[in-house]
Amino acid sequence: MFGQLWIKECKQTAKSLTYWLIILVLILDFATQLGGMEIMQKPKEGQEDYGWHTSNDKDIIMESTLGILAEEYNRESYTTYPIGFYKQVTLDESEDQKIAEILKEATGLDGRAEIDQKIEEWYGSQQDDSGQMTAPLALQPSKGLSYERFEELMDQADSILGGGSSYGAAYRKSNAQIPMTYEEALEEYHALLEKDKITGGYARLFSDYMVIFLGILPVFLSVARGLRDRRAGMQELIYTRKCPSIVIVASRYFAMLVMLILPVLMISLVPLSQCMAYGKAAALSVDMLAFVKYTFGWLVPTIMAVLAVGMFLTELTDTALAVLLQGAWWFVGLFSGSQDILHGGLYGWNLMPRHNTELNWAGYHSGFSQLAANRILYALSAIALVALTAFVYTMKRKGRLQIRGKILANRKSKSKA
Amino acid sequence: MEKYWQIEKANLKHNVFLHILVCLILLALSPFLMGVSNLGPQDTAKALEMYVALLGIVLLTPIFLPEQSKDIRDLVNAKYTKSASVYLVRLIGNGLILAVFLGCYILLLKNSHCQFPALRYFLGTYAEMLFFGSLGIFCYGLCDNLVIGYMMPLMYYITAIGSGSKYLKIFYPFSMVTGSYKEKFVLSAAAVILIATGIALRCRRK
Repeated sequence: MFGQLWIKECKQTAKSLTYWLIILVLILDFATQLGGMEIMQKPKEGQEDYGWHTSNDKDIIMESTLGILAEEYNRESYTTYPIGFYKQVTLDESEDQKIAEILKEATGLDGRAEIDQKIEEWYGSQQDDSGQMTAPLALQPSKGLSYERFEELMDQADSILGGGSSYGAAYRKSNAQIPMTYEEALEEYHALLEKDKITGGYARLFSDYMVIFLGILPVFLSVARGLRDRRAGMQELIYTRKCPSIVIVASRYFAMLVMLILPVLMISLVPLSQCMAYGKAAALSVDMLAFVKYTFGWLVPTIMAVLAVGMFLTELTDTALAVLLQGAWWFVGLFSGSQDILHGGLYGWNLMPRHNTELNWAGYHSGFSQLAANRILYALSAIALVALTAFVYTMKRKGRLQIRGKILANRKSKSKA
Repeated sequence: MEKYWQIEKANLKHNVFLHILVCLILLALSPFLMGVSNLGPQDTAKALEMYVALLGIVLLTPIFLPEQSKDIRDLVNAKYTKSASVYLVRLIGNGLILAVFLGCYILLLKNSHCQFPALRYFLGTYAEMLFFGSLGIFCYGLCDNLVIGYMMPLMYYITAIGSGSKYLKIFYPFSMVTGSYKEKFVLSAAAVILIATGIALRCRRK
């Protein structure tokens, strides 16, 4: 029974306009974001730039953090992530004065004029021939400033800004961005070829771009499917069938899931073929299944969760409320955390884990257990929501939980009787 | 006039209540998501264009919602009052609610010591709200599907966030952040065309 219903639901999905619009959006997303993708070339000695990485050196952390604080103070605008979301903070006069005092103690620079002069001097000396800045501002700490006192001062600055700033304990260490050396860049490149077999790195980059759209698009499909029975006046007819609710709900859910995975896999053939061509030309072995593994491991839990939210809320309310709620969740997920999460390795509990580079295998490897926990949680939550949807469906079949006016109508008729 | 007021009263009571609630929740959440005090012109524009303008999608898109059922549509078509008039009354009603929400939010920003040209930002954000909403109205009218009505403006928003003005050019919705205002005139004109076309398409549907 499940198989027959599943095939029927797949056909229904294939006939849906929403489904084809979703595919169109996915293709456009891929074409605009990854259409011009080029496979990374081996770094050459003497290259101008090899990218950046984070240092654990305390002196560098202090210099970089004080540089950021001085720039933000000078700009009179601070970037914070108080509850994980981006927030721009502008201070009033007394708070501004407190930051000035912190900077004076930490760097010896007194007031905006001195800081402004220091910034101009720095960037004057750091410009390359083309006028580009080669390094962000780094300020020498005052003589005798211990790392412990530096931490205390930065905690004070963080507290004045309402928490979540670049000066709090959570973000302080990631301020120390230093240029990569040729050897470090070569190591990253070898990790891409040997550990990731080329395709692993590009499959992560592919997942990073696709997950942004897959964090919202599936909800349109599940809501449209959920509302369709009501619009067509078929709800009551299906309710009277012998088929168990869990079979009806699960067949719909898995049909939509499979129909959404298919285009993602098809689109992934484009970057896969590019990686294969590169591997063939360079006589390197390529992991042919990497895109399939990342699609199922990285993207499918997100699709599952978003579909389940859409199905559950639509079944419960008989409205398109799920679109608005999922839209809010997507918004929060997309803008949560600092820019550091984009580089990968810091996956947290975000519905849309980010890794916006084909490199950083080490970051992926160290954050893998966190990522796995994240993905398992969303997949299990999705299954739980599908079970709840089946429960709501059963209740409705029994004439309960009819929220859209019917519940009140039922009560009225009962009380009158 | 009394007839139109009755239409709007029914709209407020049965149709837009949930959407107003969602808008209020979104506005109440904004201080937790972004800075709303001591902002300069650029940051204020960012808050208004990238967040508050989303209310346009929530409130304007569902103006055809009560006629989603064909039976109700047939009933409305049989009435003396033209269905286009009913949609226009709802549109004006929801547009006024949007203006009130936006006006209150701008007053709140002003009281929180944000520095920006209030009237210019009000009109610019309102133009963007109308554009997002009109895109929803057009797609809803074209496809007779509320979900697609929500989907297309949201996709437009994501494209603008992801690609900047690269693809959208003069239709870029977040132009006040970059200090440009001419896009707002284009968006306003596009909103009028999309609303008119959306309602016309809907009225032709039997």
